[in-house]
Amino acid sequence: MPVWIDPDKCNGCHSSRQPPCLRMCPGDLIVKDHSVNKAYLKYPEDCWDCLPCIKVCPEEAIEFHLSYQFGSSGAKLAPHIHKTRDFITWEAEDTQGKKEEFTIRTKVMKIALDESIEDGPQGPDFSI
Amino acid sequence: MIERQKIETDVLIIGGGTAGCMAAVEMKEQFPQYKVTILEKAHIDRSGCLAGGMNAINAYLNKGETPESFVRYVRSDSCGLIREDLVKSMSELFEYCVKKVEKWGLPILSDEHGEYVPRGRWNIKINGESLKPILARAARSAGAKVYNWITVTNLLTDGDRVTGAVGFSLRNGKFYVANAKVVLIATGGAAGLYRPNNAGDASHKTWYSPYNTGAGYAMGIRAGAEMTSYEMRYVALRTKDAIAPTGTIALGAGAPQVNAKGERFMVSRSADIGGDGAPTPYRAHGPIQEIKEGRGPVYLDTRGIGPEKVKELKKAYLDMYPSQVLYWLSNDIDPDREPVEVQTTEPYIVGGHCQAGYWVDLHRRTTLKGLYAAGDVAGGAPFKFVSGCWAEGVIAARAMGEDLEPMALNVISEEQIDAEEKRAFHPLKNREKLKRGILPADMEARLQKIMEQYAGGASTYYEMNEEMLAIARKKLSTLPSEVNAVVANDLHQLMKAHEVIDRIDVAQVLVEHMAFRRETRWPTYHTRTDYPERDDVNWLKFVNSVKDQKSGTIKMKTRPYEQLVPGDRYRP
Repeated sequence: MPVWIDPDKCNGCHSSRQPPCLRMCPGDLIVKDHSVNKAYLKYPEDCWDCLPCIKVCPEEAIEFHLSYQFGSSGAKLAPHIHKTRDFITWEAEDTQGKKEEFTIRTKVMKIALDESIEDGPQGPDFSI
Repeated sequence: MIERQKIETDVLIIGGGTAGCMAAVEMKEQFPQYKVTILEKAHIDRSGCLAGGMNAINAYLNKGETPESFVRYVRSDSCGLIREDLVKSMSELFEYCVKKVEKWGLPILSDEHGEYVPRGRWNIKINGESLKPILARAARSAGAKVYNWITVTNLLTDGDRVTGAVGFSLRNGKFYVANAKVVLIATGGAAGLYRPNNAGDASHKTWYSPYNTGAGYAMGIRAGAEMTSYEMRYVALRTKDAIAPTGTIALGAGAPQVNAKGERFMVSRSADIGGDGAPTPYRAHGPIQEIKEGRGPVYLDTRGIGPEKVKELKKAYLDMYPSQVLYWLSNDIDPDREPVEVQTTEPYIVGGHCQAGYWVDLHRRTTLKGLYAAGDVAGGAPFKFVSGCWAEGVIAARAMGEDLEPMALNVISEEQIDAEEKRAFHPLKNREKLKRGILPADMEARLQKIMEQYAGGASTYYEMNEEMLAIARKKLSTLPSEVNAVVANDLHQLMKAHEVIDRIDVAQVLVEHMAFRRETRWPTYHTRTDYPERDDVNWLKFVNSVKDQKSGTIKMKTRPYEQLVPGDRYRP
């Protein structure tokens, strides 16, 4: 599974109907289970590994995992957006536990915890 | 009863991506009197090709280069056949577009004299992790009205005039009917026509955005627009498994291609066409021949580049393809000590790298009145990448602004809207109507199997001949009637259903184009084993097609090539 939302860390962005991870997934693959107030990747086979979901999670609850077919698990790669939003630091760790950090310039746009969809918000599970 | 939402606008932009966002800004800046509406399939902040970011602008006129030198390069890289008027016109706007986006906040690397840092002859380095949100904010701030989560299913037409578009919302299930004076199509290219490189939970670990499924091509085909050069597919040389771009390594670290024996085969076998600097199709064709003839795997030789360069490489990938870095971490690969294995991708149809797309005039007007095309969906102009898509957005916006004044909104007949609504929602209705329908995933597997095995997929080394294409044609011909049985259980699946329906229309046109051009101009992109040589006497021209509105047959035609920039067409 390419990205994984840790249910212990995800707070569903409180009362948000459309949390940032759900809105920023270009494939519409993340849904929020309102009964437990948590988001999850509903269609892992359709994930492109593009990672906007991870970058916008205010709780840093989303982990990036390589599909197991590509190599052993155990390595780690996690982005942290600086408070100034001008830099992103990637925390990297190989399978031996060797750590590295990469800090790169960027220009991160502010993102709201929720956003009303034209003519009323609905979850992607909504069917007619 | 499905609720309808009507939109009236002067300018309708289908697809809020690279080209669409830039077109919206240009339109509002130059012609603020007009209403601009964007219909976006996902959320405009992180949709399409740029969702993950971008680490370079790969079409830029660095110091000493001119639009003419650019045309010469792109012409030779595309094996002597391009629309020189289109390529020249976009190159004249690279600087205008890049400076604009820099002003909006994109970090671009500059030296002490304020000059952009080149990464290759036509490339500059950027920190584009947030490039898409930057573009989206510019489009919104300029005053464009954005509707997110709209899957557009068809264009609305009145005779040969395009009058708007229809689609459904992934969020509220309403049917959207947009009536517009002019329409810009900027939906991107098509992935998923062929079997992807990886399976299981990595089946969308493709290079091209798997969410770009040829909607714009398909809508144009169905509306009778003239299309060009589908046979110039794009097969990319990418890193093994992660399918990340190799320019970052080849240009960024100057790494040459080597085979399993360490031989620089591009130099030893393709010196006459430029060795490691050979035209792009040959840089994919070369390694495929090595693998086919038993000298694989093939690598980019990064050995000895040093820890500093490795760090730079990793940073560059983090701005665009973070999974490449995680792949190296997970497999304990240090590119300084071992070479980076590469492979070729499934074939894509993408007008920004190759030249499949709408046949357009210099102003990006399509052959349908009121319809313009920009970016990956527009044909004839390869080597667009990001900046060329921006430039085409600007060119189309300026043309739309000029053309708009005398135009009025056409009345759209209720009959047409009813028919389109029925078409858009039929997979959902099939839940009740059919005991056992066809799932979009099953239809996708069928399409990809046919294309993979008979229309030049990776498993046949991208090779094809008349007989194979005839089988592909026959097998594909049954699918259009079977789409009536596609079933969707929710709105997400309804989107998936339309994605595969669109790809079937694109695949049929693609097969006709590949069968029609009886030469091999672009090896691997279009390897005809029955016509293995390039044939300038008979085929130095564009292969175009129009789907007949009544009979549904795809009619082929040719258009002449015009050389505008003098010089040897096969030399950069």
